[in-house]
Amino acid sequence: MSATYLARKAALKQRVRLLYRRSLKDTLNWAVHRHLFYGDADDLRNKFEANKHVEDLETIDRMIAVGEATYNKWRHPDPYIVPWAPGGTKFCRNPVPPAGIEIVYDYGREDND
Amino acid sequence: MAGIVRRAVLGHMRAPVVQKSLSLHGSKKLLHNPIFFRSMSSHGDDHLTKQEVIDRVLSVIKDFPKVDPSKVTADVHFQKDLGLDSLDNVELVMALEEEFKLEIPDLEADKIDSCKVAIEYIYNHPMAG
Repeated sequence: MSATYLARKAALKQRVRLLYRRSLKDTLNWAVHRHLFYGDADDLRNKFEANKHVEDLETIDRMIAVGEATYNKWRHPDPYIVPWAPGGTKFCRNPVPPAGIEIVYDYGREDND
Repeated sequence: MAGIVRRAVLGHMRAPVVQKSLSLHGSKKLLHNPIFFRSMSSHGDDHLTKQEVIDRVLSVIKDFPKVDPSKVTADVHFQKDLGLDSLDNVELVMALEEEFKLEIPDLEADKIDSCKVAIEYIYNHPMAG
């Protein structure tokens, strides 16, 4: 077990985890209702589990590339993002005013008062 | 003539600036300057206490179907102690995200693989709901 082999394998494992995470979120975006989502999530998990025991790094690499292409094809156009996060509806909505700016309470007061 | 009357009337009807004395006992969001104290804004509302975070995280993990609830304590490692898979880990982190209404970046979420790390991350997150 050489170091490069282990490094490549660890990198591939991370790609699999990220792919699973993104596709699971995407499944939730498409199947909004939970009872539908659970079925779709199980299907997705079974697809990942079916290829669990592949040993050859090249095959794994190719399968991940196919998976990422499928994910890119099925990405939701309007994903749910938490409001305060970048891309959400509340992001940058009410920024903190810069320091030193304040309201001057002199309504109606003339200059020579 | 009208200008003088206007000025006199407005001079009597000036709204006073309320000087609130804010005491900072544990509440980090209030600034000293009362002008920046927006009383009706729910921005960055309440920060969770550590015990609340621990309780909620443990309840999420116990409700996870692939986990045996009796083995769950506050410092379990998901893959070593609870016998979960790496994909199960991903699902668990997503469940925690949904519980606390957080959006964790992908690479950060990859690093959360034990209860302790999860509690630390959520407790130190400013927008943890």
